[in-house]
Amino acid sequence: MFTKALSATMLMLFLTMPGLAAEPPKQAPQSATTAAAPVQSQAVPAAQAAPAAKAAVPAAPALQEKVRPNRSITITMFMAIIGITLCVVIWAAKQTKSAADFYTAGGGITGLQNGWAIAGDYMSAASFLGMSGLISLYGIDGFMYAVGPMFSFIAILLVVAEPCRNAGKYTLGDILSFRASAKPVRAVAALSTVTVSLFYLIAQMVGAGKLMQVLLDIPYRFSVIGVGVLMVGYVVFGGMKATTWVQIIKAGLLMSGTVLLALLVMFKAGLNPFGFFSDIVNNQLIQDHVRMNVLKDALPKPGVDYGQRFLEPGLFLKNPLDQISLGIAWALGAAGLPHILMRFFTVPNAKEARKSIVIALFINGTFFFLINLIGFGAALYLTPQLISSVDKGGNMATLLLAQKLGGGAGSIGGDMFLAFICAVAFATILAVVSGLVLAASAAIAHDVYVNIIKDGKADQHLQVKVARITSLCVGIAAIIMGLMAEKENVVALVALAFAVAASGNFPAVILSLFWRRFNTAGIISALLVGTITALGLVVVSPVMTYPQKIADDAGKIIVTLEKKQAEGAVLADKELTALDKSRKDFAKNNGGTSMVGLKAPLFPLKNPGIVSVPLGFLAAIFGCLLFRDRRAEEMFDEIEVRQITGIGIAKATDH
Amino acid sequence: MAERKYDWGEIARNSKYLQLKSKKRTFLFGWWIASSIYYFSLPLLSGYVPDLFKIKIIGVINFGYLFILSQFVMSFFVAIYYTKVANSEFDRLTDELVSEIQ
Repeated sequence: MFTKALSATMLMLFLTMPGLAAEPPKQAPQSATTAAAPVQSQAVPAAQAAPAAKAAVPAAPALQEKVRPNRSITITMFMAIIGITLCVVIWAAKQTKSAADFYTAGGGITGLQNGWAIAGDYMSAASFLGMSGLISLYGIDGFMYAVGPMFSFIAILLVVAEPCRNAGKYTLGDILSFRASAKPVRAVAALSTVTVSLFYLIAQMVGAGKLMQVLLDIPYRFSVIGVGVLMVGYVVFGGMKATTWVQIIKAGLLMSGTVLLALLVMFKAGLNPFGFFSDIVNNQLIQDHVRMNVLKDALPKPGVDYGQRFLEPGLFLKNPLDQISLGIAWALGAAGLPHILMRFFTVPNAKEARKSIVIALFINGTFFFLINLIGFGAALYLTPQLISSVDKGGNMATLLLAQKLGGGAGSIGGDMFLAFICAVAFATILAVVSGLVLAASAAIAHDVYVNIIKDGKADQHLQVKVARITSLCVGIAAIIMGLMAEKENVVALVALAFAVAASGNFPAVILSLFWRRFNTAGIISALLVGTITALGLVVVSPVMTYPQKIADDAGKIIVTLEKKQAEGAVLADKELTALDKSRKDFAKNNGGTSMVGLKAPLFPLKNPGIVSVPLGFLAAIFGCLLFRDRRAEEMFDEIEVRQITGIGIAKATDH
Repeated sequence: MAERKYDWGEIARNSKYLQLKSKKRTFLFGWWIASSIYYFSLPLLSGYVPDLFKIKIIGVINFGYLFILSQFVMSFFVAIYYTKVANSEFDRLTDELVSEIQ
């Protein structure tokens, strides 16, 4: 049971969002599954016994320990999705002839299509599963979390998308090397792109492995290999065109699933949002959950309305500095993510780039808004107790809700709807990983091979061949690293990807576009300092795994239970299992250190943004002031005129 | 790739260009900064003035929930307004400039 819960907690990995998965601070250590169980078993009968229980209070949930999908229906849905996407790949493969086709679908994607594809690139299984779960367990704090990913599009929309479309061609390296020394800049840009994409990619792969393991009992390694082989297939054969369509299909499915679920929730609430929220506040089980599991008040404190507390901040997000740091990573990080940047180059001009970001912003905004209804709906109709009994982090809330609103477990409707939502989560992972493989391989093939090794002298045929081979290699590397990372805290990797993008790539991109004196030295110092600081701070931050802490938590459970035993009480089976498990955990983790040899985190914040982003900018500025480059300053007029007006680029898709 | 050669320096001194540039700069950076301030007020207020978030406005729905919703409205508004200005004014100025150069 503990392993299941732990592995489900790992699901949070595929958050595209840093820190979302960060284990709920203090009050819910990972070992809480066992600790919380006795509390719940007391809580539930109490709720039932309360004669005052209002009609809004659902029957005490039958606690369950896993999601039970109908395997044959679910596998059929998975196969259908794989089948449809493979048809797209075959169709796209026939049209991919030049390097431009491979990297950017020849610039022939419309703004509308690209908007859906960006949304598809951006909405991860994490936001779909993890965020609704957070809301169902921690109320409004979870909803607050949803604002960042939507807001991140504003920076992209206003200051990055159009200028990049006007000034670049295929990759981040194109923009950065415009007026700087091409080779070193391309090399560093490629390195940073590959770093960001790989961290992100591994997180998604591990998430996929865990999801398949939990849902379908497919062993971890087979799921990782399966997802890996599919994504490599999409990218190698279909290039950007197939990847784009896989993302569009995924975004469509994801939005339909989300809208449908949110509508069902609203119909169940009688289309009355005010009634819906007062039901939540008045719900006895939600009140119990907030009081005992979140705030740890054994007895109700006078004057505290625990139901209303669910709609107030501070249950999950405790440290304002951490929130601000995370906010910075959101607000700037997305604009520096290579796989998002790359999508601006798939449209023919700046106007379409603008249109695609606006569309993506609307799709995402709607999505994150609906997730709030789903999350609160899950809290009300499933109860937080049930949700956290299946998975500590709440990652299964959406899936359970689908099954319940479809008609319940075992009913055709419930099983079909659950299978559909599982398949959507699967498609989501496939789409996101494909985009990442493409971004990483474009950086290696286009920046490193074609422009550094071959000095830009490679014919189309060779370029496409190299791009395909690189994609294959990146894909294989991702599979191998995904297999090795099974036990890693992959949340840290996602946080890292965002932090590196915000601290290294973003300053480099924005100063290249807007600052006359920016030059090679600035770009290189921004990318190096930003990346290294972000990386360094994350590996000493609380998001890494600290075995000593696990041992300490296990130790506390051992002490409590042994004391109970010593007092003559007979332990229930659950408690015995917990004791046994805790002893093992203690023995295994006691005295252990984190990956970099620490017993406890050195840096207090989960996200390094508040430190690493300013450092990235400072490094960029000092770098250029120390090494002035007249040529870069002279060429500023050109990049500025291009980025503002689009002159000289409109027809510049490679021929 | 047969690309036309432009005298970038000359375009950069063109009065129409300068007008377009300053309009774009003011608008884009202005709105970016303004929306960022609004966005960062969310973690700041919820972290340092949590009581504000607890004030009930409609039934049990409090200021916090409505403030989070308003973040969505703000983003949508900025996106729509920007598109409107870009499609009419910026694109018009760009077209005028391009036709003057060619």
